[in-house]
Amino acid sequence: MKFSIVIHGAPWSSNASHSALRYAEAVLECGHEIVRLFFYQDGASNGSSLCVPPQDEINIPEQWQVLINKHGIDAVVCAASALKRGILDEAEADRYEKNAHNLLPGFAVSGLGQLIDAAGQSDRVVSFVQ
Amino acid sequence: MSQSKSPRSYLIIARSSPYGSQQARAALDIALAAAAFEQAVSIVFMDAGVLQLLKNQQADAAGIKNISKVITALELYEVNSIMVHQEAVDKYDLDPSQFVLAVDVVTSEDIKTLIAGADQVMVL
Repeated sequence: MKFSIVIHGAPWSSNASHSALRYAEAVLECGHEIVRLFFYQDGASNGSSLCVPPQDEINIPEQWQVLINKHGIDAVVCAASALKRGILDEAEADRYEKNAHNLLPGFAVSGLGQLIDAAGQSDRVVSFVQ
Repeated sequence: MSQSKSPRSYLIIARSSPYGSQQARAALDIALAAAAFEQAVSIVFMDAGVLQLLKNQQADAAGIKNISKVITALELYEVNSIMVHQEAVDKYDLDPSQFVLAVDVVTSEDIKTLIAGADQVMVL
């Protein structure tokens, strides 16, 4: 079955992101396909390369990155959500003349149309809202 | 956008209060985006989501965008079906005449049928 997963929660503000991460792992372990991960609203913060949790806590953005790169998953952060939360890739940092960029490799910045596109290709869209 | 099986039917269930979080606006943005891509979109307001529909919201006074302006855009984007849950209308002691646009009042049973019939359901 084809799944798309929508992550609405920031990494540690609620269980939404961690639950979505574990769900995504389970989807793949069960032999299903992930069409796209869509990080929306506070979920865009999962794309930050600058999170430094205590050593005895899971680094949720890093775990997302590992999963995305290991399986070559299409992962999109909503552009409007990401920009206003200070999650920028190099191109956006240049465009808005910011002095740094912090989007984890493997994530792409794009629009809400990518969610609708993913939903069109998926049997199930599963949302993790805080 | 890549090719997808389309159009598909979307049911958006908007159950968040208008200004307590970003969720209300997120639900409307998804509905508008889906409609812009010529998908068949229905939206049902339930729980605190019914408060999004009220006329005379004074959001500007708090320095935030008035969500009812986005709601009136639903019709322009041809969101086919705009509904409100009867229970929520009753719970908040509202009347559909207080809403910024005409809505169909639906029961819990109706919503069950809508969920069963939609290709994708998103609850926000």
